[in-house]
Amino acid sequence: MMDLAVKDIRHDLGRFVLTAVGLGMLLSVVLAMTGIYNGMVVDATVLPDSLAADLWVVQRDTQGPFAESSRVPQRLAERLRAVPGVARTRSYVTFNAQQTTPEGATRRFMAAGLSWPDDQGDMLPLAQGRALRAPHYELVADASLNLPLGSQFMIGRDSYTVVGVTRGMVSSSGDPMLFVSIADALKVQNDLVNEAMRLETEARIGRVRRSAFGRDPANLTRAAQSQLPALVPPPVSAVLLDLEPGQDVESVRERLSHWPDITVYSTDEQRALLVRGVIDRARRQIGLFRALLVIISAIVMGLIVYTMTLDKMHSLALLKLLGARRFVILRLIVEEALLLGLLSFIVALLIGEFMFDLFPRRVLVGEADRLALALVVAGISVAAGIVGLRKALSADPNQVLAS
Amino acid sequence: MTPSESNIVLSADSLSKVYGEGTLRVEALKPTTFTAHTGEVVAILGPSGSGKSTLLTILGLINPPTTGSLRIGQTKVIEKGRAVANLDQQRRQQIGFVFQRSNLIPFLSAEENVRLALELDDVPPAQSRARSRTMLEGLGLGKRLHALPSRLSGGEAQRVAIARALIHKPAVVLADEPTASLDSHRGRQVMELFREAARSQGAAVLVVTHDHRTLDLVDRILDMEDGVLSEKAVAAPG
Repeated sequence: MMDLAVKDIRHDLGRFVLTAVGLGMLLSVVLAMTGIYNGMVVDATVLPDSLAADLWVVQRDTQGPFAESSRVPQRLAERLRAVPGVARTRSYVTFNAQQTTPEGATRRFMAAGLSWPDDQGDMLPLAQGRALRAPHYELVADASLNLPLGSQFMIGRDSYTVVGVTRGMVSSSGDPMLFVSIADALKVQNDLVNEAMRLETEARIGRVRRSAFGRDPANLTRAAQSQLPALVPPPVSAVLLDLEPGQDVESVRERLSHWPDITVYSTDEQRALLVRGVIDRARRQIGLFRALLVIISAIVMGLIVYTMTLDKMHSLALLKLLGARRFVILRLIVEEALLLGLLSFIVALLIGEFMFDLFPRRVLVGEADRLALALVVAGISVAAGIVGLRKALSADPNQVLAS
Repeated sequence: MTPSESNIVLSADSLSKVYGEGTLRVEALKPTTFTAHTGEVVAILGPSGSGKSTLLTILGLINPPTTGSLRIGQTKVIEKGRAVANLDQQRRQQIGFVFQRSNLIPFLSAEENVRLALELDDVPPAQSRARSRTMLEGLGLGKRLHALPSRLSGGEAQRVAIARALIHKPAVVLADEPTASLDSHRGRQVMELFREAARSQGAAVLVVTHDHRTLDLVDRILDMEDGVLSEKAVAAPG
């Protein structure tokens, strides 16, 4: 039996292809939504994964820097280094910043402090250049910041040299990451302008003058000449622990569980907190959006197949008049719906292949995602085919005689 | 069985059709009994609304009669107003249709339109292709095999439709105003084709027509008026 669906498609190939391209573009958005979610998960976890610590020590009763504000003293790193089984400690601090270039473009990024000299960023996925080799004024930036190797970049009031370029290092919000030494990071975070320093000096002299200590003029002079910051060193967000080879993570956790000022998490727990806390709402939002798009695609495809069937009602009536079995009509309608779905799916894949890399955020589409979309498209095609088939089976052979 | 009975390919017995009930009741076809024989071309005449189309849809197994029985070939297909055979199969195998307009499937070529009648009944593609080509070449359409209906002239399209109606060697060919849209010359050509097919294939051809120009080519004329079918006259052999 000749393939009536293929012959019908061939008869008006341009319209069929154009319809499939339109539907494919809609399906590519479904695929993009999946890819954007996958990209968000990878983006969110790329930092803790790259840092590859065994344990994260954070402020007591907080969930750590990925979930909420966590402040621990810088000296905590030294205390932790003395714990049996701990090979290395690294202070962790990050801050978000936005810079406007002389051309007026805005660069938003997240900066992380590396615990110089123990951590110079050698674990970073470098695409060009090297890790930090000086304690100050060097940085490693992600390629998405578009900072050429060797160029200068202003952070706060200081200029930094770009010594390395990473690829794919972004924050959970998708901003490119930049790495400096932790001393530089803290300096940028806690830097005070001259006027603030002068006001603090005045306030300090005032406090000394009002106290018994201030009755001695020499003390007043000393207070005025002391350097800022005169208070305690600024805190860091967390301290990362690298354990000695073969060391049991749980036994170190157990030792630290009695410390009253800290809470300890494994990297997996931090990842889970990050995914649950930062991404969960976006996941649900994207999931809902994706479900809506699938429903819209199904409705659009159903309408297209229905319209295609309407166009053929006279031919279908003629087929019934000639004694065509129901299967012949079923095959014609459902095969066209499936071919439309197949072509649309291929268009969606091609759009994904060539367009998703141009998206500003990472879009990751895996084989499982493609398979899932294929199954969804097959389901939609069959459903659309059934819609068309119901109409097709209502074709009345009397129409042929009446025409 | 007498010799004349053995030649009967269509036998209608008390076929009637009633639409509606009560005050809305319309008897479109009063109980009608008639037969058609192999090789016979029968014209059915009558004004619009006389019941010709109703009779055609019943004989074509499209609409069921209210009462009566119908036999096509050796098969009893309707008994007391009810189908007693697979009507789709009967239409595929026993009946050929020709209409005023060619009613070809627009996305199939001339050859494919003819093949379709065979392939719907599971004739293998190679065989159906060969038979279709032979028939279309016989009708002078050898160079138009791959033309779509939109590229065929009215006369060519009607010849393709006739080829489709005859290709599966049906017992009965039902033609509804097949010459209405053709000029006198082409109209006669079509009727001659029917005569030839009736003779060569042993089919009975029933032609519903208003076209008196071609009545000399039919074997029998039946007249339909107010749902009543009657033998009007016997045409002179053509």
